[in-house]
Amino acid sequence: MKFLLPHRFKKIGAIIAPLGFFLWFCMQMGFVTQFLIFLFGKSFNEQREFSYHLVNVIIAILSFFSFLGGIYFVAFSKEKLEDEMVERTRLESFQFSALVQLISIIIGFLSMSVLGEPSESGLMLFFIVLIFLFWLCFICRFNYTLHIKIKNEK
Amino acid sequence: MKNNLKEERIKKELTQVQLAEIVNVSRQTIISIETNRYVPSVLLSLKVANALNIKVENLFELENSD
Repeated sequence: MKFLLPHRFKKIGAIIAPLGFFLWFCMQMGFVTQFLIFLFGKSFNEQREFSYHLVNVIIAILSFFSFLGGIYFVAFSKEKLEDEMVERTRLESFQFSALVQLISIIIGFLSMSVLGEPSESGLMLFFIVLIFLFWLCFICRFNYTLHIKIKNEK
Repeated sequence: MKNNLKEERIKKELTQVQLAEIVNVSRQTIISIETNRYVPSVLLSLKVANALNIKVENLFELENSD
């Protein structure tokens, strides 16, 4: 594939993806809000509602896209030596991830039809999980096949 | 498809790393070919045969299931 990034982006991605996820997790758990209140006091929340929300939104966007960008960097970076077996393993991993995602979509929609329609945020979360599931599945399968499985066979 | 890459490589006193460097692939690829996990392309097969100085048909062998 000609559009792959140089190998160094894999390392960059491996650093920013967990950082982004950690920040996003802290955001979801309310730790960021608590930290802002700790920094600026409770009045910051009440008096400057606009600034407060702006900071929250910026952190949310930054963390989400850091995580997503990091995952893309890891997935679309060349290996140190990009040969035909690596290319084929990459292709097979894409196929595997697409299959896992398809099964997840079917199970998700079947669950919705049985358990009832989820809320708007629940549906949104379901689609976000589907996006990440594809890429995480690809990264795990690709690296496992290429680095761990072969090492065990030596 | 069977292959006797490992035997031929050892005969020529080459390590997996050395062979990988000659044919410009990763060591993982050589390991995968030797363990029959990966069937190389015609181009790579010819390169490997050339590196070991043998004919490609002496390196790879069709099985009944192929």
